[in-house]
Amino acid sequence: MTQILEAVGAGEQHAADKLLPLVYEELRRLAAARMAKEAPGQTLQPTALVHEAWLRLVGSGHYHWNSRGHFFAAAAEAMRRILIDRARKRGRARHGYGLVRLDLSQVDVALTSDDDLLLRVDEALDKLAKEAPDQAQLVKLRFFAGLSIPAAAAAALGIAPATANRRWAVARAWLFTELQAAG
Amino acid sequence: MSVNFERIEAVFNQAVEFRPDERAAFLAGACDGDAELRAKVQAMLQAHEGAEGFLPPEPRKQAPAGPIAEQPGDRIGHYKLLQQIGEGGCRIVYMAEQERPLRRRVALKIIKLGMDTKAVVARFEAERQALALMDHPNIAKVLDAGATETGRPYFVMELVRGVKITDYCDQNHLPTPQRLDLFILVCRAIQHAHQKGIIHRDIKPSNILVTINDGVPVPKVIDFGIAKATQGRLTDQTLFTAFEQFIGTPAYMSPEQAAMTSLDVDTRSDIYSLGVLLYELLTGQTPFDTKELLAAGLDEMRRTICEKEPLRPSTRLRRTALATPGSPLATRHSPPTWIGS
Repeated sequence: MTQILEAVGAGEQHAADKLLPLVYEELRRLAAARMAKEAPGQTLQPTALVHEAWLRLVGSGHYHWNSRGHFFAAAAEAMRRILIDRARKRGRARHGYGLVRLDLSQVDVALTSDDDLLLRVDEALDKLAKEAPDQAQLVKLRFFAGLSIPAAAAAALGIAPATANRRWAVARAWLFTELQAAG
Repeated sequence: MSVNFERIEAVFNQAVEFRPDERAAFLAGACDGDAELRAKVQAMLQAHEGAEGFLPPEPRKQAPAGPIAEQPGDRIGHYKLLQQIGEGGCRIVYMAEQERPLRRRVALKIIKLGMDTKAVVARFEAERQALALMDHPNIAKVLDAGATETGRPYFVMELVRGVKITDYCDQNHLPTPQRLDLFILVCRAIQHAHQKGIIHRDIKPSNILVTINDGVPVPKVIDFGIAKATQGRLTDQTLFTAFEQFIGTPAYMSPEQAAMTSLDVDTRSDIYSLGVLLYELLTGQTPFDTKELLAAGLDEMRRTICEKEPLRPSTRLRRTALATPGSPLATRHSPPTWIGS
């Protein structure tokens, strides 16, 4: 794992591809274990989960911010897949997803969101990624990994906080209108 | 998406610069008859202004459904919590009153509810043990350790009542020789830690408090490598990523910490930070300004710390003294005597 992260930090693309399956596997295990223990009504923080995954996979060495940034991006993407898969599986038992009107007033992080919302966000993100990959990346980090804007997300991406804020304003507004339209 | 995102983004970014009541006029011009573009941007502007509950920039800190975090007045072991005095990503620090075997005030550090994963607990334990290894008059001592009924670990430290070393020196108008005396004591403390194989990694004024024992000022180093963010201004806060991957405090970070290579930093990093502290004690400012370091993002910060040459202390002092006559610094810079003392 350390080698992969170092390679990623040095800019090797192959290494970045290797990262996702490892992170995915670790997060999947951790999430499954936590969610099994979870009492109804108890909330789970995505940052705690990803933190745990980081400590288990990587330990406490210091890494180039670029390596860490890739890890967070992989973690966010892994979280996305885990939660969307789960939502899709559960959706089969229910009728007519897509006909429910979404409540957008309390959207915070993926871990505490309804399946319907998750699936719509997933669709919207795919759309956004085609036109504006940087914005999509920011949304993923915020929604799936729970990184704060601008501090944590800017640190993960290696951009200035002001840039993160600007990009976020657009991405967030766009996402809202997109979700509203679909609802 | 039939309307190009780039255009939407451009119009939106310009529109937000206008006052809400002026935006309609701007949009009419900018969209130039494109109804779809105008509708989209208008909807986005509404979301921007109105939809506060939708994805706020900071994820909500949700309290677990079970017991809430400890409150002042609660007891942990035979310590009664008085007030919160610090907080990090995983930990909280309280001022507490010890009841047995003797009454005194202490600092109690405990892992936050919900953050007690195996890995976090292991690290917390390792740091407690590191602190327990040290025995030095200028390092805050560990007094006790334990766990709550649910198994959350905590440890208890000497409560240091004092002010930041830089504030102490300024408030008491200490001349250079006495500043150096205090600094030497701090160096001895760090030396002690290094001999025990412990690197502090976050040496800065807010981690060195000066307290008065029998009329004598005693600097005490607190928080060895422990996550801590006091309720202070951003410039004084240690930077972390969301996952506690410790970055450091911008103005005090050594070049190797700034470069953040995968090699762990060693004791020399502490020496660099001590150097920054000395610079600040002598000139009143750090070699690089924190606001400037933070403003440009991590990459620029790294480059500045690793490559830029700071002003020499004597130059810095001269310039500041010239700019602000009558300041405490002016008394420190008065040629022959200053250099000779």
